[in-house]
Amino acid sequence: MQYELKTRQVCLFLIALMPLTKLFLMPSVLAEHANEDMWISALINCALDFVTLICIIRLCRLANTNVFGIIESAFGKVGAKIFFGLYAVYFLLKAVIPLNEQKDFVVYTLYTLMPILMYFLPFFALSFYFCTKNLRAVGRAADVLWFITLTAFAIIIPLSIANIDPAAILPIGANGVVKITSGSYSVLTWFGDAAYFLFFAGEFKYSKGDGKKIILSYLLSAAILILFLLIFYAAFTSIASRQRFALTEISKYTTVINSIGRFDYLGIFMILFSNLFSLTMPMFITSKILNYIFGFSKKWISPLIAVGTQALLMVAFYRFIFGIENFIMQYCGLIFIIFGNVIPIAVSLLYKKEKVYESAQS
Amino acid sequence: MKARKAKLIMLAVLAVFMFFFSSDFGLIDVEKTSIITAVAIDKEQSRYVVTAQIAVPEATDTNSENLKAHISGRGSTIGGAIKDLGDLSGWFPKLAFCNLIILSNDMASENVVDVLDYFAKSLRVQDSALVILSEKKASELLELATPLDNISSFALQKILFKNTGFDRDVYPTDIKTFCAGHYSDSHSALMPIVKVLPAGESNKGGSKSSGGESGSGAGSQSQGGSSDSSKESKSTDNLFNAKTTALFKDGVKVGELDEPLTLSFNSLFQSMRGTTFSVDGIKYNGKDTNYLLTIIKSRPKITLKATENKLILDIDLKLYCKTADHNSDYSNAALSLNEPIPDQVKEKAEQTFKANIEELILTEKQTACDFLKIKEKLYRYNHKQYSRYKDNFLSVMDSFVNVTILGQE
Amino acid sequence: MRMKLAEKLNDNLSKLKKVLSSDDVTFLDMKVGDTSAVLIFINDLVNKDTLGELVLKPAATVKGKPDFKELFGVFNSPEKKELSTQKDTLEEILSGSAVMIIDSFSTAISFGLKHFEKRAITEPPTSTVIKGPREGFVESLPVNVSLMRRKLKSPDLIFKNLTVGRVSRTPVSICYIRGIADEKLVEKLQKKLDSIDIDAVLDSSYISKFLGEHDISVFKQIGNTEKPDILAAKILEGRVAIFVDGSPIALTVPYILLEDFQSASDYYNSSYSATVARIIRLLSVILALLLPAFFVSSELFHLQLIPLSFLLTIVNSIKGIPLSPSYEMFFTLLIFEILNEASVRMPKYVGMVVSIVGGLVLGETAVNAGIISAPTLMIIALSGICLYTVPELEQTFSVIRILFLIIGGSFGGYGILIVLAMFFVHLITFENYHTPLLAPFSPLVKDDLKDAFYKGFLSEMQSRPESLRNKNKRRIRLMHDKKGD
Repeated sequence: MQYELKTRQVCLFLIALMPLTKLFLMPSVLAEHANEDMWISALINCALDFVTLICIIRLCRLANTNVFGIIESAFGKVGAKIFFGLYAVYFLLKAVIPLNEQKDFVVYTLYTLMPILMYFLPFFALSFYFCTKNLRAVGRAADVLWFITLTAFAIIIPLSIANIDPAAILPIGANGVVKITSGSYSVLTWFGDAAYFLFFAGEFKYSKGDGKKIILSYLLSAAILILFLLIFYAAFTSIASRQRFALTEISKYTTVINSIGRFDYLGIFMILFSNLFSLTMPMFITSKILNYIFGFSKKWISPLIAVGTQALLMVAFYRFIFGIENFIMQYCGLIFIIFGNVIPIAVSLLYKKEKVYESAQS
Repeated sequence: MKARKAKLIMLAVLAVFMFFFSSDFGLIDVEKTSIITAVAIDKEQSRYVVTAQIAVPEATDTNSENLKAHISGRGSTIGGAIKDLGDLSGWFPKLAFCNLIILSNDMASENVVDVLDYFAKSLRVQDSALVILSEKKASELLELATPLDNISSFALQKILFKNTGFDRDVYPTDIKTFCAGHYSDSHSALMPIVKVLPAGESNKGGSKSSGGESGSGAGSQSQGGSSDSSKESKSTDNLFNAKTTALFKDGVKVGELDEPLTLSFNSLFQSMRGTTFSVDGIKYNGKDTNYLLTIIKSRPKITLKATENKLILDIDLKLYCKTADHNSDYSNAALSLNEPIPDQVKEKAEQTFKANIEELILTEKQTACDFLKIKEKLYRYNHKQYSRYKDNFLSVMDSFVNVTILGQE
Repeated sequence: MRMKLAEKLNDNLSKLKKVLSSDDVTFLDMKVGDTSAVLIFINDLVNKDTLGELVLKPAATVKGKPDFKELFGVFNSPEKKELSTQKDTLEEILSGSAVMIIDSFSTAISFGLKHFEKRAITEPPTSTVIKGPREGFVESLPVNVSLMRRKLKSPDLIFKNLTVGRVSRTPVSICYIRGIADEKLVEKLQKKLDSIDIDAVLDSSYISKFLGEHDISVFKQIGNTEKPDILAAKILEGRVAIFVDGSPIALTVPYILLEDFQSASDYYNSSYSATVARIIRLLSVILALLLPAFFVSSELFHLQLIPLSFLLTIVNSIKGIPLSPSYEMFFTLLIFEILNEASVRMPKYVGMVVSIVGGLVLGETAVNAGIISAPTLMIIALSGICLYTVPELEQTFSVIRILFLIIGGSFGGYGILIVLAMFFVHLITFENYHTPLLAPFSPLVKDDLKDAFYKGFLSEMQSRPESLRNKNKRRIRLMHDKKGD
């Protein structure tokens, strides 16, 4: 069997891309709901994704085909097409807020006056190009991006730590279960990353010990995110919920910045670079799904549909995006849990096959 | 297929080239931008007057007049006034480099957060900009000429930002810190008050001294001249003092910390390494001797203990000091500086710091401005008792203050 | 012309004279014993002293009417062979051999007496070193082969000879080490070279265009070198080299981008200095590519990226400049490229004058006249110098630099990031002969990182690079390993 990915690349994918979309708008949304307990809200979602990931690791261990083959053998061709069609819609929805927050970040923090969309729309050209590539490109990208992401954090976090009040996160849990869980619910759109792994299952050769490596990578990725959120709240305390673009705000209060200028932008640009791929992932998976459903002969048709739809949505609903974002955060949490966690867990636990690596050894 | 692909790429490159050369995309480049380094905000009949100090090339030339670089805009909102600035100058006002916001003292009787919120909310303004209260009209302060720097806002930043090695006798505040204090549960915040020291007038209030009456210590800056504001703006002899601190509750100024209180306050909340203070009037060999001590290290410990019956604030301040100077006639002055600080000096310094801190607590109680962050401590470390004391903590709180001056470790 | 040679001398001669009608071809009538013969050669390609010594003198000793075998044995020339077709005969004559056609024999004899004027072995101007071997390849294939043989005295050093070019009939040689290079790669290369249908191959770069697997990529796909020591190191890593007669540049396959960041001197100096040098090269390339673009985008879109004091300097310097920052940078870059192009093409002594006039006079005058600003000139100069830290990639990157500048001037920093990401996607998916261009970074090959931007100690690099599909991984055997054996 020809594998598209390597276990190493799956691990690096987690480190390189998973924390990124969560660094822009999400911290302020969390702070709005859970104040200093915002990190607990995030931790709950991380735990949910972690459990999902562990279940999917089981699937990776057992699967001798990819998820398309698994679902097809369970529900038949038509059933599988409906199943993946729903997933395509899920990924379309999942991409809306991260894409729009990225657009806003770019426009408001990097540019002054301009036709707002013009500077963001070229992103879709990159997305289209990336989506025409196969899963191997994702692995190869992760091989490099992990270094860029970690370097960016190595620049931003020390700069941020210089001006924080670590005690600001106290008392732990004082906001109560309702506020904390409402924080978790509101940011579900940024989580559910384990769903990507459903599509990675069967695409890399699982060997003994790989599960541990994947779990450790996820823990590292979650730790980076939680650390960032802790620093974010410790830096802004009572005004954390007003910081719409945490990334550009967090590291500018050090004396280094005062003396040599916005050195932190180096790290910000690095994060933005890696994030280009993180933002493209939902469209990437959607294009693979569309290719499966319709079986296009030309490799550019499904990426064009996946990326084009997303771009069209952004342009068409440009004026209503605030309402759409609120709607997604308030009412679509259930959809994100179902597709991001429940279904991947169910698929992983219900799948029964001979252990591939054991049979291979025997 | 390959030829078609190559043609497509060439077309895309050509399109980008055309786009590049058209330059027709609402671009505001450096040549159309006025770089604002500071703004002064006054209020005239319910309209805001925003005076911007613009770092146009003229302002950076050493021979130019500072006044050239000021433009004022008016509006019913801060945003409106800044827009007016752009309309008047023909340049796009760029606030990304605005590092100083000056509010006039008149405005402090109303909620200043109404003004500062514009800067805190806007993504195109640095909320790391320092914010100060001017004793006189804010625009006048900005337009003053000073020998410290060609641009007055840069001069002001010099006295506000003090790195290690300088005295920490100023409490600098940026928009973020001010707003964080205001939007916290205590709704309390601080900002330094900048006074102009007109030429020739000595720094009479500059008593960083913790031991004596006079305070002509290291902080005195002013040299001769007149206090007439119109002359001040033309003279280059104006100096600034930012050692007093304004207290705000719900955005309204409710009190001030004078220079010794600001120093004592800083000793509780900032690293004091390198800060000096004088201890005057010590009897040594039957002669009045004045000492200048340098703080090597400060160890403040503020503890709030809340039980069902009691709320106790315990402040324990340890200052590790060494002698920086004294006016007694030692034969070997260099050697004497390394000698242990005499007990009388220690005692007097301890008494003064203790009295100052007790006065800080009293001021907090009188103004209801929680600049000592007691409510924050109640919330963070005594959360179970928070609801019990959150509204009356100032009235029911007992306090204990202990200050110890120690020599070099 | 695939026809066999006739037995009658005149038949053969009349056909050959029709084809070889050029004045520099000599048809020398002679007698070999009692038989008539004609010696055909191109005047300036044959060493006449050797011809007299090895061919004419022995021919004069022949008596009577000898049979062909006897006759063939008479000649002392070490490079002699029998030719049976007119095509082979023609090719031999044109490649510099002397061919003897003898009456009543349908087989001719070729004598390898080539005598070309060739350049002396000198240090190649494109890869000079302070410490290390200074010899470089020349335009003669046999000389280049001998240089390689001198470096690697191994029976496993294999040369496979081919001829490419319908008109030029250029000798091409594939060189590799048996047991290290992948045989499949050699076969693939041989097939590709055989399939090349071109009138003439005047330089190895002609061949490299046919060997690349991505026609429209802006990136280099085939490696090259002018130095035997570098080539020896490359083929020892499992690469395959291609020599082309008439070119001092040997091609190497497969190519990875990293190899152009590795200089020969890295291996002759300490690991520390090599690591520093490689990191400087990387940073220089990044600066060269992105500095003009980011500078322009900062001036146009993101002023906040520039420290205030520097911004004030810029504002002061651009006051009164007639062009907008983006046009100013673009035209300065254009002038730089023109100067660069002119200085390469001009005679050496004129080139120096151009450098002085262009670099000093033109630059300073333009700044003084207020046509361009000093920071822009400095940025372009820095960018131009930086690119030459990796001279092999200069051409590719100077094209990309212009593209980035245009993007930076049109879309700002985010546009630059997007185009950078597009190049990144292109590079990570780019493979030539099953070897990823970005190896060992993408895909990540941990062991090969020891000779990437970090240059490990020689003792660390015990195995050949895994990124290249080579055989026989072991390169260094340390003393303690031997004891273990």
